[in-house]
Amino acid sequence: MSLKDLQEWLYGCTHCGTCKDILNTFAPACPAGEKYQLESYFPSGKMLIARGFVNGVLTLDDDDTRERIYACTGCLSCEQQCGVYHHQHIFDTVQALRSESVMQGNLNPAYMVMVESLKKDDNVFGKPKAERREWAKDLKLKDAAKENTEVIYHAGCMLSFDADLWEIPRSAVKLIKAAGVDVGIMGVEESCCGGRAYEIGYDGEFTKYAEHFIETFNSLGTKKVVTSCSDGYSTFKNLYPKVNIEMKFDTLHMVEYLESLINDNKLKLHKKVPLKVTYHDPCHLGRHLGEKGVYNAPRNVLQNIPGIELAEMERNRENAWCCGAGAGVSQENPDLALWTANERIKEARATGAKALVTACPWCVRNFKDAVKKYGEEIEIYDIAEIACKAL
Amino acid sequence: MLQAVTSELIEQLEKIVGSQFVSTNAADLYIYSYDLTPAEPHSPDIVVLPQSVEGVQAILKLANRENIPVIPYIAGGNVGGLTIPLNGGIMLDLKRMNRIIEVSEDDMYALVEPGVTFGQMKSYLTNNHPTLKYTYAFSPPSTGVIANALVQGLDNLSFRYGAASHWVTGLEVALATGELVRIGSCAASKTWQAIVPFPEIGGLFLGWQGATGVVTKMAVSLWPNPPYNNALTYMPMDLEGADAILRSIIRTRIPDDLIGTSFTLNKAGVAAYEHRKMDLYPAVKREGDEPEFVITAEITGNTEKELDAKAEALSEAVEAGCKGYKFTGPETVPSTTAAFPMQALGVLSSGGGLMWVGTYGPMSRWLETVKKGCELQDKYDITRSCYTRIMNEGHFAGLRWMLPYDKGDPALIERINDLCAEQLELVLETGYIPYKTPVWAVRKLEERVSPGWLTLHRRIKAILDPNNIMNPGRWGMPRE
Repeated sequence: MSLKDLQEWLYGCTHCGTCKDILNTFAPACPAGEKYQLESYFPSGKMLIARGFVNGVLTLDDDDTRERIYACTGCLSCEQQCGVYHHQHIFDTVQALRSESVMQGNLNPAYMVMVESLKKDDNVFGKPKAERREWAKDLKLKDAAKENTEVIYHAGCMLSFDADLWEIPRSAVKLIKAAGVDVGIMGVEESCCGGRAYEIGYDGEFTKYAEHFIETFNSLGTKKVVTSCSDGYSTFKNLYPKVNIEMKFDTLHMVEYLESLINDNKLKLHKKVPLKVTYHDPCHLGRHLGEKGVYNAPRNVLQNIPGIELAEMERNRENAWCCGAGAGVSQENPDLALWTANERIKEARATGAKALVTACPWCVRNFKDAVKKYGEEIEIYDIAEIACKAL
Repeated sequence: MLQAVTSELIEQLEKIVGSQFVSTNAADLYIYSYDLTPAEPHSPDIVVLPQSVEGVQAILKLANRENIPVIPYIAGGNVGGLTIPLNGGIMLDLKRMNRIIEVSEDDMYALVEPGVTFGQMKSYLTNNHPTLKYTYAFSPPSTGVIANALVQGLDNLSFRYGAASHWVTGLEVALATGELVRIGSCAASKTWQAIVPFPEIGGLFLGWQGATGVVTKMAVSLWPNPPYNNALTYMPMDLEGADAILRSIIRTRIPDDLIGTSFTLNKAGVAAYEHRKMDLYPAVKREGDEPEFVITAEITGNTEKELDAKAEALSEAVEAGCKGYKFTGPETVPSTTAAFPMQALGVLSSGGGLMWVGTYGPMSRWLETVKKGCELQDKYDITRSCYTRIMNEGHFAGLRWMLPYDKGDPALIERINDLCAEQLELVLETGYIPYKTPVWAVRKLEERVSPGWLTLHRRIKAILDPNNIMNPGRWGMPRE
């Protein structure tokens, strides 16, 4: 996205501050603003930075200014709270500032490493491409790059390379197989979706991955791609249309797919899992999808698991507080990422839940790291892990 | 601007509030140099965010010693350019001081810090003291409760109780020298129920735009929260009819809130609530049988019977007082309380800017002033956008012409500046005094006030702020 494309929205913000809190409950809405408190960290401050940049008053070669631009988890809570006509373009503006920084060659070291890894190994973690299917090595899954399958499960970068989280994709494919569905994976041929590259301003890298992804699946004649990664899912749904190539396949998030398998009586979750849980709505599965936000499916899945007691946090659904990992923050500003996660964990604990369940590996990773850092007592799960216990 | 923000100054401020809460970053300075009005931008030299009273005192002591201007800031949405640092200096952002320290159910007050917002207060009372309520301003929920009282704001209980500064029942102020003073009953006891019966030295700080000290705590009145509420809407076809309706309602003493707006402002505002840009230029006109004005009287009751009786009495009063004028109504609509926190969205959706000549003045000259002000809007081909709120049971009126505008349109900015200049001359002629007074209007007003007032005002400023560090260049002392 270019700032030139956003001219229409650039002056929308009056700096009124409505974006700072959840409408009607007035609980904090913006992680970066809440942590740092300076106006430049709040969404309205970032809108003014964009204006200052366009008007030639501010430059992006200042590390300190860029730090503020990158201190945004892209959670879109501001867009949810703001009612002014530009409200759906606040993160677009932040992304455009990042893109402008990259174009000017004002690069952040943490992201340079990440992008180099993308170029070399098609993932954002600096891991060898050959290790991408390690998580599934004993599962005897079909190689979807070589043979047709009804469903292709896309693990994404985080679940492919973080061994601590491998139980999530393994649970997901076990559930799909338990429903009698023919499922395969792309294995070493799988690549990053490109969403993270887009969010940190590397538009060119994003376009490369989007084109590759769509063309690959189109050429394979794929009908359905299912992923447990909410970031990836919203990239498919929201960002891929930007590259103007028809997607001849359907994309589903694992929670949607699980719900449909349960509703179609293909999947029976009958074993009791006695646990009080609270559900964290990942931003990319909720607000990023606008009116199509996936809020009911995960709750329906949890309520179909015998023994599960679901308690809601004060900020939920469209108003959920972010986990802190999004838009490159966990790579570049772990302090902000983990502080944000811990704020959410405290909210989760206030419900009396013993476990925080979510539906995005970036959230799971960040919550686990925050538990390690801050020591709050709570278990962290992906929804597939809980559902798998009920098989 | 200071000659230089020395590393020594930064170091001392960092010691007081922590390095994370001190900034000289260009983006921060830029953001705090503007507000939503077309006021000329001026950059602070440094932004500091204290979290304690002791922190504020230490900053003031330092600033006073070094002769550095200090500009207290909460949300910056005052529509008067009041937190733009005319002489640079320290931007004292108080949002981290955001505790609701006490709510007294028996004495019906809330003791708050400067960072407490209307949204926060509403939420806190709803969850913890549902039988009590505060008011809300015609502003976003992020507006500071203390800031609103300090600038003598008008709110949705102003018909009953007047300007927000009238509801202050106690103050704690850090003076420019860093000394701390408590004013009101809190000076002599543990409760903060009233300013009286002491000499009312709260007036040394209320309405001064931060030119005499930093309010670090304030107690404000709370009121019972009746369970039933409604709003009656009357739509006169001309301003004479509006005047007659307002006068009729005033004498009933019934409403909690009594406001009126140009119909065309509401008509243009529909776009904002559909998340579209609202445009007052060229002027949106009335068509066919559309009214000139929309008047809303908000009423509350402890029972439905009481609410109905109030509505009936209001309607009878209006019918009796407005025989000579054509109007439609009354229409019963949901209470305007229901619109909170988005009640100001309509005037925040035109491209980042909002400007007005806002005033308090006598009801006796309301009609004359509104007519002339609207005619000036016609002259500039700008939608009639009058907004009035009747204060203190009709003893005076708040009056302004809302001018939301696009900050990216220099020609439009010039046009509304010209309009505002003419409207200012008009209101000063009719006895309407600018409130939240922007510095350009302060200087105009000072030309008209009695020499005795001006001398006393400046003497007070000089006593309280001997080095002229507190938001300098505004009330009490012109910019050097």
